[in-house]
Amino acid sequence: MPPVAFSGDLKEWVQNTINCHKVMVFSKTTCPFCAKVKELLQSLKVEYYALELDQISNGSDVQQQLLELSGQRTVPNVFINGKHLGGCDATIQANTEGRLLKMINGEEEEYDYDLVVIGGGSGGLACSKAAADLGKRVAVLDFVKPSPQGTTWGLGGTCVNVGCIPKKLMHQAALLGHSLEDAKNYGWQLQEETAKHNWEKMKDSVQDHIGSLNWGYRVQLRDKTVQYLNAYGTFVDQHKIKATNKRGKVTEVTSANFVIATGGRPRIPDIPGAKEFGISSDDLFSLPYCPGKTLVIGASYVALECAGFLAGLGLDVTLMVRSILLRGFDQQMAEKIGDYMENHGVKFLRQYVPLKVERLQEGTPGLLKVTAKPTSGAESDSITGEYNTVLFAVGRDACTENIGLDNIGVRYNTKNGKLFATNEQTNISNVYAIGDVLDEKPELTPVAIQAGKLLAERLFNGSTKQVDYTNVATTVFTPLEYGCIGLAEEDAIAQFGQDNLEVYHTNFQPLEYTVAHREENVCYGKLICLKTDNQRVIGFHVLGPNAGEITQGYALAMKLGATKDDFDNTIGIHPTCSEVFTTLSVTKSSGGDVKAAGC
Amino acid sequence: MSQAAVHRLLSGVRCLRKTPQMFGTNPLFAAQQRWLTFNVQDEKDFKDRVLENDKPVLVDFTASWCGPCKILGPRLETIVAGYKGRVELAKVDIDEHQDLAIKFGISSVPTVIGMVKGEKKSQFVGVTEDDLIEAFIEKLLPPS
Repeated sequence: MPPVAFSGDLKEWVQNTINCHKVMVFSKTTCPFCAKVKELLQSLKVEYYALELDQISNGSDVQQQLLELSGQRTVPNVFINGKHLGGCDATIQANTEGRLLKMINGEEEEYDYDLVVIGGGSGGLACSKAAADLGKRVAVLDFVKPSPQGTTWGLGGTCVNVGCIPKKLMHQAALLGHSLEDAKNYGWQLQEETAKHNWEKMKDSVQDHIGSLNWGYRVQLRDKTVQYLNAYGTFVDQHKIKATNKRGKVTEVTSANFVIATGGRPRIPDIPGAKEFGISSDDLFSLPYCPGKTLVIGASYVALECAGFLAGLGLDVTLMVRSILLRGFDQQMAEKIGDYMENHGVKFLRQYVPLKVERLQEGTPGLLKVTAKPTSGAESDSITGEYNTVLFAVGRDACTENIGLDNIGVRYNTKNGKLFATNEQTNISNVYAIGDVLDEKPELTPVAIQAGKLLAERLFNGSTKQVDYTNVATTVFTPLEYGCIGLAEEDAIAQFGQDNLEVYHTNFQPLEYTVAHREENVCYGKLICLKTDNQRVIGFHVLGPNAGEITQGYALAMKLGATKDDFDNTIGIHPTCSEVFTTLSVTKSSGGDVKAAGC
Repeated sequence: MSQAAVHRLLSGVRCLRKTPQMFGTNPLFAAQQRWLTFNVQDEKDFKDRVLENDKPVLVDFTASWCGPCKILGPRLETIVAGYKGRVELAKVDIDEHQDLAIKFGISSVPTVIGMVKGEKKSQFVGVTEDDLIEAFIEKLLPPS
């Protein structure tokens, strides 16, 4: 078998071969899909050039070059007028959509943009900026529909405006209150016995920071020449959306590719008075007045975090929970979080569901009456309570309604509106999705950012790198923070069986707690190890101060496949909380005592 | 009108956002209008009162969330008032008039741009010493 005859660089030769032929098919004589493509082209009476890679001795080298040029190694690999089209499916689809002949005849529709991103949150912004960096024409649509209470915000999405950023800052406000208590034991003489907190001052400071972030994002888009459209996007067809701005003015925007990054919004239960008188996390962080006595309804991390910092600010907080805390998280850890919050001023109404919310008094805050019944009881067993504020945090819904998905046939999970996608690509080949709208994927800002960046690289830079959705670390910013990586203990048991696991655990006492006379045995860490795989660590859990800071570094270790031995061989930093993970010796199976001892 | 209110007007610290039209009817305000500090209302207002202004205009791009803006703003007003109408001060809230701010290439606030006959002559960013602000204004004034 002779090699292809060429002189010089193989890559250059492949590129030239592509450029020299209007329709270029890299093929193999044995490949049925290649045959299909060639049949199609013949039936269209299109002249094409096919290079049969199995008939030349350096065919696999050519394939390697094709991978670098097009991100595709497999055959058939079709190029039209020098542009990469794809394989068999892409060619047939282009023909079905009537694009194939247009492309061949050089009449390919010119779109306004190479990429339009719907949604200016963390994921959408990251994706659009990455695509613009690669020289693509990119637009971002961002439009915030007001919450039922009328709250809106600026560019940047949930995390920046009504999520991670304000919640972490308000969590910090609560922690500082606790630190003021500790400070007395460290010798600080505070002028007043009990410090008072000013909600409005905190809210203004937090919102000022958010305002600067909103502006910063806007400037970045300009500097990267991403077109920003403050408009609501709805699909008209596979390459066209209708953009409606706040004055109702409609423009049409066309694009070769779309990314749906519309995120999610809090769900308000369908009970009387909930929408009218309740608030959600969309409203809380910019609430112009102190919420006062607050009922938080829900057991999500949002519910626990909000209840936690409100109680930490000194408010009277009740948490109403239908069943378990933090569904999907390790339940031992979830219970420990609940216990800590209960010991730190949060009242729990367990196994209750709300029935209605009534307003007794208007005001800022007003006075509301909430009726609730036991989860498994009758309405006749219902109880009532009076609160200034009722915060719903029962879950979030994907913003995929009313964006015209049915106009183009994007498939989604009808139960939750979340989009089905493989490698962030929906069933419609030029429509992608990232972030919280994706089914079965973690709803976390850094995940969306990673997905957006890598997607842009794959779309426009020949990259083949995919998001690794395993071992994503996260932290719940409850008063005592909870960080985790990998599997919850119950998930590990379900997946590998109890006998194949060893769980190492311990309580620990942060040094700073001792002088401050804080309680003992609330902080806790555990490693779940897979015995059948050299005690590889498959679950990492820590409950304690700064858990987020502790957890991040260990995520790297777990990505690299760290085993219990690796943890043991690591020398700790003394005195820190994180060092407990280098000396874990008590296994759950041994039943040994894990109460914290001195250093 | 109270002494304090008159003093506020004369020192140039005031906000015209809500009722700019009242300045035409009140003789005291009308007198002050010659060395006006004003908040830009929209793009047309910007065109009319900044781009087509015969006098040099300082355009103060500012934001409600910006701490340094709150320091610089009143000082600019005082200094501009001292020029007794030879220069005007236009305030642009970058969140309310995002397109304008983006068009003018604003990245941080406060940014002050010196405009003469619709053309950008110079700019400074951040809180700046009074004498430097005065020097900045002097350079915008026609030679006397």
